[in-house]
Parts: sequence; structure tokens; C-alpha cells
Amino acid sequence: MKLIFALLIVSITITAWGQTKISGSVKDDQGEPIPGANILIKDSYDGTSSAIDGTFSFVSEEKGSQILIISFVGYKEYSQPIELTGKAINIAALLKEEINQLDGVVISAGSFTAGEEKRRTILKPVDIATTAGATADIAGALNTLPGTQKVGETGRLFVRGGDDSEARTFIDGMVVLDAYGPSAPNTPSRGRFLPFMFKGTSFSTGGYSAEYGQALSSALVLNSKDIAEMNQTDIGILSVGADVAHTQVWDRASVSGKIQYTNIKPYFNLINQEIDWRIPPESGEGSFAYHQKTGKDGLFKFFGNLNHTSYSMYSHEILDPSIKYQYDLTNNYRYGNGSYQQSLNPKWSMRTGIAYSYNQNKTKIDGNPMNETEEGIHAKAVFEHSVSEQLEVRMGGEIINRYYEASRLNAATDAMESLSFTEPLSAGFTEAEFYASSHFVAKAGGRFEYNGLNDQVYVDPRLSLAYKPGKQGQFSFAYGIFRQSPLNKYIRLNNLLNAQRAEHFILNYQIVTDRKTFRVETYYKRYDELTKFSTGNPTVITTSGNGYAKGVEVFWRDNETLKNVDYWVSYSFLDTKRDYLNFPSLAIPSFASAHNFSFVYKHFITDWKTQLGFTYSYSSPRTYYNPNKPSDEFNSDRTPSYQDLSANLAYLPKNNLIIYVSCTNLLGRDNIFGYEYSALPDANGVYVSRAIRQAAARFLFIGVFITLSKNKSVNQLPNL
Amino acid sequence: MKTINLFFLMFISIATLANDEKYYEQMGKQIQAVYTAKTMDEYQAAVNTLDRIAAAEKSKWEPYYYSAFGSIMMATRENEGSKKDAYLDQALAAIEKGKGIAPNESELVALEGFVHMIRVTVDPASRGQQYSGLAMQTFGKALGMNPNNPRAMSLLAQMQFGTAQFFKQQPTEACATATKALSLFDNATKPENPLAPIWGKEMTAGLAQNCK
Repeated sequence: MKLIFALLIVSITITAWGQTKISGSVKDDQGEPIPGANILIKDSYDGTSSAIDGTFSFVSEEKGSQILIISFVGYKEYSQPIELTGKAINIAALLKEEINQLDGVVISAGSFTAGEEKRRTILKPVDIATTAGATADIAGALNTLPGTQKVGETGRLFVRGGDDSEARTFIDGMVVLDAYGPSAPNTPSRGRFLPFMFKGTSFSTGGYSAEYGQALSSALVLNSKDIAEMNQTDIGILSVGADVAHTQVWDRASVSGKIQYTNIKPYFNLINQEIDWRIPPESGEGSFAYHQKTGKDGLFKFFGNLNHTSYSMYSHEILDPSIKYQYDLTNNYRYGNGSYQQSLNPKWSMRTGIAYSYNQNKTKIDGNPMNETEEGIHAKAVFEHSVSEQLEVRMGGEIINRYYEASRLNAATDAMESLSFTEPLSAGFTEAEFYASSHFVAKAGGRFEYNGLNDQVYVDPRLSLAYKPGKQGQFSFAYGIFRQSPLNKYIRLNNLLNAQRAEHFILNYQIVTDRKTFRVETYYKRYDELTKFSTGNPTVITTSGNGYAKGVEVFWRDNETLKNVDYWVSYSFLDTKRDYLNFPSLAIPSFASAHNFSFVYKHFITDWKTQLGFTYSYSSPRTYYNPNKPSDEFNSDRTPSYQDLSANLAYLPKNNLIIYVSCTNLLGRDNIFGYEYSALPDANGVYVSRAIRQAAARFLFIGVFITLSKNKSVNQLPNL
Repeated sequence: MKTINLFFLMFISIATLANDEKYYEQMGKQIQAVYTAKTMDEYQAAVNTLDRIAAAEKSKWEPYYYSAFGSIMMATRENEGSKKDAYLDQALAAIEKGKGIAPNESELVALEGFVHMIRVTVDPASRGQQYSGLAMQTFGKALGMNPNNPRAMSLLAQMQFGTAQFFKQQPTEACATATKALSLFDNATKPENPLAPIWGKEMTAGLAQNCK
């Protein structure tokens, strides 16, 4: 009993002399006061907030050894052991800025990121879908960004003086072979993957990470969506077909499937086409996605896609158009991509993936078969390690195995003959990202590649730096050596061809605020080891080709100044020449244009519940090869300039219904992309030309999209 | 010996009672502070205090709830999009911690839906579809946990009203939901938990005004 009373008395007395005054100030490392910071004694209620001048003062009832904690958003937590004895304590706390915050420095040279909607990104996924003229094609929308050259007859991405094969697509880090669907010769093809599948897009026009190999000019990195959020069924009725999709969601998993049928015949019957179709393109497609969360933060993703397309057309002789050949194409495509990511512990995380691509083109020219098959497996594992707040290290390894086979009927022997090769490629990469402060970041690394087909080893450095002197503007620099195997049609003739090589130097300045972006970039790119027909004979192939590209690009986007209006302007200047393939000397390739300009305008008209968009594109004249000219005037002829004004309109009469109309080339300009020449000269010894034109002056697309879900407010706008 | 034990027990229960009393007293003050704050500074101070209480208590969801509520209120008063998002991130982090303690608390889930709803306002054109759907779904989840949660019902009405306005439709559905929410407010029995949220009636009444 006595003991307890004694205890009680002691505790009362302690309380009596146990009041300690704690005061001080909170500042950042620049000496600026931080108002509103939370100051507390750990595990107690005692504490306060800092005043506008960063000062604070409070009294604590706690006693003995305690920990004082000061915290504020965007700063690292400050903690300091203190001894509470009743004697006043003064604290002058300096809070360190947390790196990687919203306003922190990021590497931006060469890349356009359309990522998580919360971050300040230049393009959002929905922007890709709502750009007029792009008809919801990823490449179509990216073609309005600086660094691209519009090559209208292909519909593909051409980046900074590179051809279409130099721009590679990656889904969840895994390479995609044959990222474009089949199309008739000299008509635009569409990307195989629709923008709505992806939550983020990073379009790099150079200087990309060591993780990405086999891409000479550009890496388009698409990140597929995470687990779906709600059950819904989407139905689309299009002027060129129909599709239906369904998504089912469980607690930790989701499944979605889509089937689509496209037949352009009814449309072509209405609108006259330049192309002499026998059977216009018809395709069936099925895709499937499965997501599963595992453990605490593991995520497994699978995506698969099957497509079958066929068409038949007549190709006419240039010299005598009454002579025609029947050209049939059947394309079979399969793509599967499974990936898994998980953190191993707070410092380490892991991503792995395996992807399979299969693409088969079966063509028949006047009944003579010619087949081409490419099959590839890509397996990859990447480990990321946060060494400290400032240092991140990434390393990984991958294997890309490609099998290619081309076969055709030899009319003389009536037997099929074929050429094939298998290219086993193994690669490893490592990269370290170091944040010296929130003003400066450096990323350095390298990529090692071994090609089992030509038995060559390549080691390529990569480097990026970014410096942000103030709150908004920042400078970046990127350098790297990039390689890519030559095209299949050349490797099949010479298995020992060396990889093509490009060296990039990029300097960039950008200011990104919430709703405005300004960016200017300049670059120099040097090409080596390009494919070359050594003696003018296209079957004797070497890698003695070379070239360069340099240019300046400007981008401006504003969705703040005008209400409900979002617009961007891009301009690219390109100076490029190369000596490759059959070129007699350095010359401007026919896919390059010196000036490219795009203006994209989107306006939401609330009263009409309508989003209206316009895109104007301009490309300066392109060169073309005229066999009537002497070889010292190679590629000296020029096409007219390319111009296009496209519009689209999305009307939302009801919450779950969208009516979408888009039309390209409103002004009906007769764009000429180049000229083809007859294989043999005519009676006067002149090679006769034929212009490569648009298949039709305009392309009109109408779609009606219906979403069925429990939740009536959902529609497919994000998917369009 | 027996008396000592008894005394000891009494001593301990008085001590915990004293602690709980301090908790309720402090919480009462801070809840009042977030309900009546007028300036960003007042909100920040209340949120800070609630965060301190949350950190000290470790097993109470209410401080996280009101801290998140204060952060959401700050987000609604902020004009710059990225800062708005930062406040909402902060609110969501607090809600997640609260859910770790009380995973079946309908009020926390309703507040989570509120966060999604305010996300829309940062950039309605690009976020509207995603976040409004998410908000609706989350309110539905909160009502699934407690069909009589008037705040979940009221926020759902707000969302429906906004959607109807956007599509220039009659807000019939929204008004019906608002009426339902009002009756939930009126019929709400005095909660067992003295710290249970009580806000939202005026907001709902204001919305119902638009229906007349």
C-alpha cells in the first residue's frame, strides 16, 4: 500500500515539473521558411504547426528522452532526439527536399511521356485518341509531335531522318515485331494496338535507356493498363465493321476480351477508290487480357492478340495500264505478352516478361505464291535497386530469338525455294540514375549485346543529364550508341551482316507547367554500318553505308488560355543525307522532308455536348528517284508539299452513348507522295512515271459506341 | 493483497480513462476545427494536429478520417492542379491508413469516393470519365457497407447532379438520391461513437434546393 502511494506521489511530482517549452524554426536548405510544417513529439499529442515565418513554439507535458519529428509534404522527415527536463529547448531545423517530387528534375531529352494522369505530362493517353486525323491510331497521333516526318502513304512513324523500321514498339518492356497491320502497297497501315489498352505512352525520338535495344532511331514504349476497375460491356458499330468487348472484375483480378470484325467493302462501294480492289480488306481480330494481383504488391499481366486479314487487288503496269496482275494477301498475326512485377524488399524490385510474336504474309502474284514468316520470342528480367534516396541502379538481361523464312515458287523448276535464318540475340544492360539534388540528375549505363547469327559482340554506352536551375525550366542532354539488325530481306541474303549503328547527341530545353508546355530540342545523329548494295547489285550486300541527320524542333501546347480549348503546335526542321542501298553517293532519302508542321486543336462545346477537333499538317516537298536523270542527280526531283486538314467530332447525347465522326483531308487536296517508274523505258527510251496518291481524297469514319454497365455514367470516351 | 490488486486495477482503468478522455477532448476540438476552418492555415493546423493524434494513437481511425477530410477541403480551395493533387494524395494516404485500422468503415470509403470526385475537377476533360466512374463505384461500395450512410448517399447525389448538368439532362435521379440522403440525415440515430462524422446535411439541403 505504502509503495503505491509513494509511486503515485512520485508521478504527480514528475508531472508538476515536467513542462518543457520547445521552440524554434523550420527552413528548407535554401534558408526559406516552411510554414505549415507539423512539429510533434513522437507518440504523444504534443506539438504544433509552424507559422508563416517558419517559427514554432509549444509546451510539452512529456518528460525524459523523446524524439522530435518535423514533417512537411515534399520534404524528408526531420527527427531529433531531445531530452525533456523542463529546460526550454530551441531547435533550428533544416528540412531536405525530397527528390522525385512533382516539380523535381526529370530526364526529358528525346522523350515525350504520356503517362499517369496525375503527373505533368506533355500528352495524355486520351489525347492520342482524340487527335483529329489520327483516327485513334497511335502512330497517327504521334505524327503530330516534333521529331516525326509525315510519310502519308505508309501511316507509319519516321523519326529524325530514320526510316520506319528504325522506330520500334515495346509493350510493357517487351519488343513487338511487326507492330503495323497489313495494308495495300502505298496505302497507310494502322498500328496493331489501340491506344485505349495503355495507361501510359513514352515516345522517345532518341537517346533512350539502355534497356531498349534493336531500335536505331526511336522507341515507343507502351505500358498496358493495370487491373480493370469495373464490369462493363462495350459495343461499337462502325462504318467499317463492328466490335464488342467485355470486362469482368474481381477483387484481385480482371479479365477482358474483345472481338472485332472489319470489312471495308461497303464503304469502298460508296466512295470511289484509286485502288483497283478485287476483294477489299476484311479482317477478324480477337484480343484477351488478364490481370492478377499476387501477394502484397505483385502484378501479373497477360495480353494476347490474334488477327487474320486478307484482301485481293489488281496492280496495273505503268507503261500499259491495261496489263494487270492480281495481288492477293493473307496475313496471320499472333502476339502474346506475359509480364510479372513485384518488389522483393523495400530496396529491390523485379520485372520479368516473355513475349511471342508471329507474323505471316502469304502473297500471290497472279497465283504464284510468295510467303514470308517471322516468329520471335523475347524473354527479359530486370532488377531495380534503390541504393539510397539519391541513387537507383537498374540491371537486366534479355534474349530475343527470331526466326525468319521467305519462300516462293520458282516458275522454271516449279518447286518452292526458300531462304531462312535464326537470329539468337542475348543482351545485358545496366544503368545508374543519380539525383545529386532536385536540380540535377544523371543517368549513365551501357548495353551489351551478342548476336549469335553473325557472331558479333556490341557494347554501347548511354548517358543522360538533366539540370533544372529554377522552378520550371530545365535543360537536358542525352547521348548514346544504338544498334539494330538490318532488315530481314537483307539478312536472308547475307547472314553475317553487321548491325546498323546510330550515334545520338540531343540537347533539350523545356518548361512544363500545369497546362502549358514549351519545348525546344536540337540533335545530331550519325549513321554507320547501313546496308549497302556494294556493286549496285542488290544481292551483294555489305554494311558500308553511312549518313547523318540533324535538326531543331519546337513544341508548344496550351490548354489554359482559352476556355475549353486545348491546342498544340509542333515544328521540326530536318537536314539529313545518307549513302545506303542503291544510292550512288550521299543523298536525301525519299522519306525525309525538311520541314514538318502540325497544329492540333480540340474544343469542347459544353452546350452541344460535343468535342470538336481539327488537325492541320504540313510536310515540305520530298525527294524521289527519277531513273531518267543521270546518277549525279540522284533523288534530286521533288514532290509537291503535303497538306492535310482533318476534323473529328465526338457527340455525347447520353451518358453511355457516343457518336463519333471523323474525316481526313477536308479540303480534298490531291497529295502526291512520290512517283513510281516503269521497270523498262518506253519506245522513246524514257521511263514513264506514275504518281503515288492517296487512295481516296478523304477518309470518312463514323462510329457509334455504347457502354453497358451498372454504372450509367461510364462511356467509351477514354477509348476513342 | 486483494485490496492492492483492486487498487491497481482501478489505477490502470483510471489511467486509460484519462487517456481516452484526452483523446475525445482533443478530437472534439480538432473535429470542430476542420468543420469551421476558414483559411488554408487553419485547415493545415487542424490537419497537422490530427496527424499527430493519429500517429500517437495508432489504433484509431477517426484522426485519419478527419485529417483526410481537412486535406480534401484544402484541395477544394486550391487552384493549381498539381497542388490539388498533392492534397488529394495526402488525403488518400490517410484514408488508406484508416482503412488499415477499420477496414469495414463505410465513412472512410465514402471519403475515398470524395477524393476521386475532386480529382475530376483538376482536368475534367481528360479525367472526367475515369474518375467520375471510380467515384460512383466507391460511393456504391460505401453504401454497400452501410446503406444508411447519409454522406455516401449525399456525395453520390452530388456526382449524379454534376453528370446530369454536364449532359444537360433533368437531374431527376440526382434529386431522388438527394431526397433519400436528406431522409437518412433526418432519421439518423445518435451515433454510439461520439466522434462519428456528422457533416453533409447542409450541403445536401443546398443540392435539394436546386431540385425545386
